Amino acid sequence: MIKLYNVSKTYAKSTVKAVDDLTLDINAGEIFGFLGPNGAGKSTTIKMLTGVLTPDSGTIEIDGVNLADNPIAAKSIEGFVPDNHEIYDTLKGIEYLNFIGTMYGMPTELLKQKIAEYAALFDLTEALPNMIGSYSHGMKQKLSIIAAVIHDPKVWILDEPLTGLDPQSAYQLKQLMRAWADRGNTVFFSSHVIDVVEKVCDRIGIINHGKLVAVDTLENIRADGKLSLEDMFLTITSDGERK
Amino acid sequence: MRKYLSLVKMLFVQQYKTRVTSLPGKKRRFGSVMLYLLMAVCFAPLLISVAVAMYYMGKFSQGDLYVGTFLMLACQGFVLMFGVHSIMSNVFVVKDAERLLFLPVRSPVIFFAKLTVAYLNELLTSALAIAVALVPFGLGAGAGVGYYLTLPAALFLILLLPMLFGSIIAMPLSALVTLFGKNSAIKTILRIVIYVLIMALYMYVMYSFGFLTGSENGNFLDNPEVVIKDLMDGFVERLQSVMPYFHSDYMLMMCMLATNAGEWFVGMALTLIENFALLAVMFAVSLPFYRKMLAMSVEGSGSSERRGKKTYSVKNRGVVREFIRTDVKRTLRDPQVGFQSFAGLIMMPVIVVILYFFMGLSSEGDSSFLEFIGITPLYQVIAPLVIMAYMTFLGCSTNVLGLYPVSRENRSLYILKSLPVPFGKILLAKVLLSTAVMLTGDFVSCVLIVALFGIKWYYGLAMLATMALIGFGSMCICTMLDLRQPKIGWDNFNQGLRNAKNSWIAMFIAFLCVLSLVIVSVPFVVLYGLTDGEGWYFSLCMWIMDLALGVGFAAVTYKIMNGKASKYFDRIEV
Repeated sequence: MIKLYNVSKTYAKSTVKAVDDLTLDINAGEIFGFLGPNGAGKSTTIKMLTGVLTPDSGTIEIDGVNLADNPIAAKSIEGFVPDNHEIYDTLKGIEYLNFIGTMYGMPTELLKQKIAEYAALFDLTEALPNMIGSYSHGMKQKLSIIAAVIHDPKVWILDEPLTGLDPQSAYQLKQLMRAWADRGNTVFFSSHVIDVVEKVCDRIGIINHGKLVAVDTLENIRADGKLSLEDMFLTITSDGERK
Repeated sequence: MRKYLSLVKMLFVQQYKTRVTSLPGKKRRFGSVMLYLLMAVCFAPLLISVAVAMYYMGKFSQGDLYVGTFLMLACQGFVLMFGVHSIMSNVFVVKDAERLLFLPVRSPVIFFAKLTVAYLNELLTSALAIAVALVPFGLGAGAGVGYYLTLPAALFLILLLPMLFGSIIAMPLSALVTLFGKNSAIKTILRIVIYVLIMALYMYVMYSFGFLTGSENGNFLDNPEVVIKDLMDGFVERLQSVMPYFHSDYMLMMCMLATNAGEWFVGMALTLIENFALLAVMFAVSLPFYRKMLAMSVEGSGSSERRGKKTYSVKNRGVVREFIRTDVKRTLRDPQVGFQSFAGLIMMPVIVVILYFFMGLSSEGDSSFLEFIGITPLYQVIAPLVIMAYMTFLGCSTNVLGLYPVSRENRSLYILKSLPVPFGKILLAKVLLSTAVMLTGDFVSCVLIVALFGIKWYYGLAMLATMALIGFGSMCICTMLDLRQPKIGWDNFNQGLRNAKNSWIAMFIAFLCVLSLVIVSVPFVVLYGLTDGEGWYFSLCMWIMDLALGVGFAAVTYKIMNGKASKYFDRIEV
């Protein structure tokens, strides 16, 4: 469902490759956890997957659609939850969802129905007529999550989605991610919370200094079967490149 | 003191920092230098005109103390209207409270640091403008060396009075806006209305001194020196009763024009004492208000929470329409962006009304000047052209919505990049919005011009259509330029973007547009004039050519913008 071939990216004002020759293949019906220390290249990879950044080299395919050749079609089947909360503070929650739904070409009735459904799930119905600027960190995160799923994307990409969520909402999100993948969709998410990755993901990838240093199922990554994911993560990222 | 200085340094430097958004490619420093040089050449006639006027004011008044004080006051009013007012509002718009409050620094120190930064900003932008007025005045007046030696100190001191008024105005303004405004959009509209009223009041006060009224000694052409002396005497007489009330300015000018050391010392001592007192008053008056705003920003006023039943509507209105709707809401609800973006909308109509008012004042007898020229055929051809050129320049160069369509998105630009919408469509929505806002102001102005200035309605329509096309084209260029090098990561819209290159480029583009209109039109005006107003077809041809120019300009610029949109958009790194 998501394919990256030799993708590299160096920021304009930097000489260091933020992502270096990344090749990755993520299947339909899979929850893929993307791990890495701060500055490893997780967010850059996610931004390239969502079309926010353009790779310097390499190819990205979303459900067989080349992102560079047909960005509109590729973006249409993606839903994106960013790691920052820079959403339009001077809009009301409902106005923002209406805006996003319109951009994804959703019919009015379906949009109404989806907004009501997800707002209820994340306990945000009451807050929707208020300005986003008055929302707490967690509420903005919930709004971003709703905005990313209302159009029913085949590929759901989340950058640090659990940051700021209360336990109830975090649980709901994990359940939703599982249900999403079980319906044949793909969930790609980055996180620092190793416990969550351990519990939720079907496969994980570890990135360090822009290079993919490990990608497999949890069981296979654990070399001797006894180490915890946290130990593995610390070992891999401190050893440097290892695949 | 160390804490204060560190804060000033941090706040001052921080406001000009925006994130670099990629844009690989060769540096265009040479191009920038050329642009500024070109701008200097374009604006030189205006600056020279002001300087010459000030020179003659100094000469004819023979360095009169009251006239000098008036000049100082006019500069202060100008600074207050176009700079300090918005800057002082920014001091009270406390957005960085959570970043500053946890520091072991007392709130008065923070406030004083913010005031200092506001003062320094204004000094940077106003000093040159004030110098352009005061130096020629001194030259014309034959002022001594002391005048020029005191000038640098004067530039620092002159700004204190507008700062005081700015802070005083900002307080009731905020209170009034809070009292009447139920939501952010209404608050922004109220701010704009109040601002324009203050501007109109300033212009009224300045004109009320009536520099060009009062001569009873015959025709200017027959006896210019007598008429000018007569005008100046009347002007000075009117100033004498008012200027001493602006005592700190009066003392400062007395000091600058002093002919002996004693007079200079007395003037300077009194100026410093009075300005220090002004500073103390400003600080004492503003600090409690700042503290209140600080508390509100941290605790929240709760005004954004609706009480009672919450209802909302959901509707897919189409991509471009939804973009425009959302952009209007976001802009109106942001006090800084909204004020900057929509103030121009009513600025032009107000200027038209003020212009009419003052022209009306100068008329005498039953047949006014306007009634007389209204029936003159050449007036009907030239006046719409001149007004259109002026409105085009003002509209295109001050339309903040069009100058920063991408930079306005700031850190949330990633949203636009991740949407499955062709970027050309997003840009079209932005250009349409900025053109529509400009045109709304232009439409009202045209109606007023037709109604008040006796211009035929069909000329009004032709003006509006030409301005729409030229405005659209100009907005396309500005949008493309902002897209090429957007400024992302600002915290304060006014301070982060007001001195950016876009404003200069927009002025230059507007200047070129006006120049093109003039070049296309003048031959037809001349031909029309040669036929003694009988050759209506020359007038018709002129408007057809102007409209054709507009159509061509709009089509070409839109095509260029659309062609380059994706390339520039992809290069932005957010």
